[in-house]
Amino acid sequence: MAENATAPPSGPGGPIPDIGIDPSTIISALLLLTIAYVVVRVVVFLLGWLSERAYEHRITVKMAIPFAKLAIYGFAVYHILSSVVQLSATQLIVFSGLAGAAIGFGLKDLVAEVVGGVVIVLDKPYQVGDKVRIDDQYGEVTDIGLRATRLVTPDDNLVSVSNQMVINQTVANANAGSLEMQVVIDLFIDSSSDAAEAMKILREAAVTSKYVYISNKRPVTILMRDHPFYSMVRARVYVNDIRYEFKFETDVTKRAWEAFKREGIEPPMAGVVDLGGGRAADGG
Amino acid sequence: MPRDFKEEVEVIERSMEDFRGGKRRNVAVISDPFYGESELLDQVWEAAASGAFRVKAGSLKEDFEILERSSAKIVVVEEAHRLYLRKIGGFDLMDRFMNFVSSSDRLFITTWNSFSWKYLDEVLGIGQHFPLKVVLPRMDAGEIRDMLLSGYEEGELTFLEEETEERGEPKIFKRSSFEIRLLSQRIEIPRPVADLGSVRSRLQKKEDKRPPMEAFFGKLARISDGNPGVADLLWKEALDYPEVRDCLTDPPSIDLDLDDSFALSIILSMGSLDLADLSEVLEPVGTSAERAAALLEERGLVFIDGEVVSLRAEALKRTAEHLRRVRLVW
Repeated sequence: MAENATAPPSGPGGPIPDIGIDPSTIISALLLLTIAYVVVRVVVFLLGWLSERAYEHRITVKMAIPFAKLAIYGFAVYHILSSVVQLSATQLIVFSGLAGAAIGFGLKDLVAEVVGGVVIVLDKPYQVGDKVRIDDQYGEVTDIGLRATRLVTPDDNLVSVSNQMVINQTVANANAGSLEMQVVIDLFIDSSSDAAEAMKILREAAVTSKYVYISNKRPVTILMRDHPFYSMVRARVYVNDIRYEFKFETDVTKRAWEAFKREGIEPPMAGVVDLGGGRAADGG
Repeated sequence: MPRDFKEEVEVIERSMEDFRGGKRRNVAVISDPFYGESELLDQVWEAAASGAFRVKAGSLKEDFEILERSSAKIVVVEEAHRLYLRKIGGFDLMDRFMNFVSSSDRLFITTWNSFSWKYLDEVLGIGQHFPLKVVLPRMDAGEIRDMLLSGYEEGELTFLEEETEERGEPKIFKRSSFEIRLLSQRIEIPRPVADLGSVRSRLQKKEDKRPPMEAFFGKLARISDGNPGVADLLWKEALDYPEVRDCLTDPPSIDLDLDDSFALSIILSMGSLDLADLSEVLEPVGTSAERAAALLEERGLVFIDGEVVSLRAEALKRTAEHLRRVRLVW
């Protein structure tokens, strides 16, 4: 630090001050960050591998992934600042000034995203493995990164949603850390068909599916709503693993319609079903 | 030597006395497959003496009216879980039976497969029709030892040390492989896959410093999951009078896809069933019952005898564990 004391004073338009961080310090810091990155990749891979073999505890194991990433990167940054760089008061002021300028001019969004990532990990509006809807995107959370959250949609698209956006958005979480989630299955039948029989069939189709999960807290509910030219029967039922959501819906719908046909339960005439109001409009 | 059901018989006898005194509490005896609950029913049947009617639930499929025709005030129904099939329309007979039970003034004593009971209780709420539930408990190593050695004098049997090497101890790593395509050639790359079951088995074995008899019954209780029927079967395999060979090994874990696991769950929840019934459940979901049964037999989980497919007793524990993991039984 003696070198700094004898250095010529710098002012506006003067030479850039020597802040005492030599190339070897920068290389050490970069090396440490690289090691942290590799460790994170290995830990994420191992936890992911383990979670897929943990069956019913899959989501619990996956919950550890963002915490592990935060801890490893946090330790690396702490170690760089405390042991490698060893900032003096002058260096800290210069570093803070540079960091402030960088954040203010160019890295504002990146920092907001990282802060958002930390908030998501700590506040847990969702976890890795959950099925969520963020903005217009719906899918399974596969990664909560420092910058963005990644979802795999039902069409197998990988969507990255900025963490900054997540904390400013309404997030709908379908399973909130559980392996099971509720699936709503609507079937529409002609008004002249036997709605009670249709409800019985839909219930049996749901409870006999290989994808179903039933417990006191996860009951099967069958509802019916009458419309002028058709009736809607609805099953609210839980799938045993969020990954089978669409297979479950298909299985129940297919077998229920086969039974409907056997029992003479007809679909509504073309054009009479109004789907414009969506599920909310149908109630239940 | 079957298990002694003294406590359970006393409970059921009390319910019969209460019934004669005007208080009706229908009884559900709930047990895992192979437990030997028919032995319990025999004792109940003797205690009930005259005035009771005993029927196997399977026969009610052909003639349900036999229940209505009987004038007995106490009705004993064996394997009541056979009154349903897990398919659309498969609960009609069970519904009819439950309606009969709830509208009748008779006392019903029934036995149930525990896996079917849990499922039906969630789906149909059958528990409310049977206020008195007798759940046959898992036995610990000491109880299994007392049960199996009750017919022998002390010191009559010699327990030999564990024999593992000759029988081929399960390996920690199994050989597997994956294919890559390189210059339009398929190349198979071998890779090791860890078998967590055998790792667990080895760790448990290294900790076992007990005398051979204690170690044997400890392992028997673990592998049979405290089920006396399964323990008795494994005991018969190990007994080479007057020696008892410790040939028990933890079975390897099960690796099945969801369709085959579902087929296995149906067999587990019945214990055994006709291939035709299995087919009625599996065909609507696009699975061939014959193919699934053959695959499960090849894996050593079931056996097919003519037209009937049955769970293997020694596969009970790992089957239940696997199906719990994949959430096909709850």
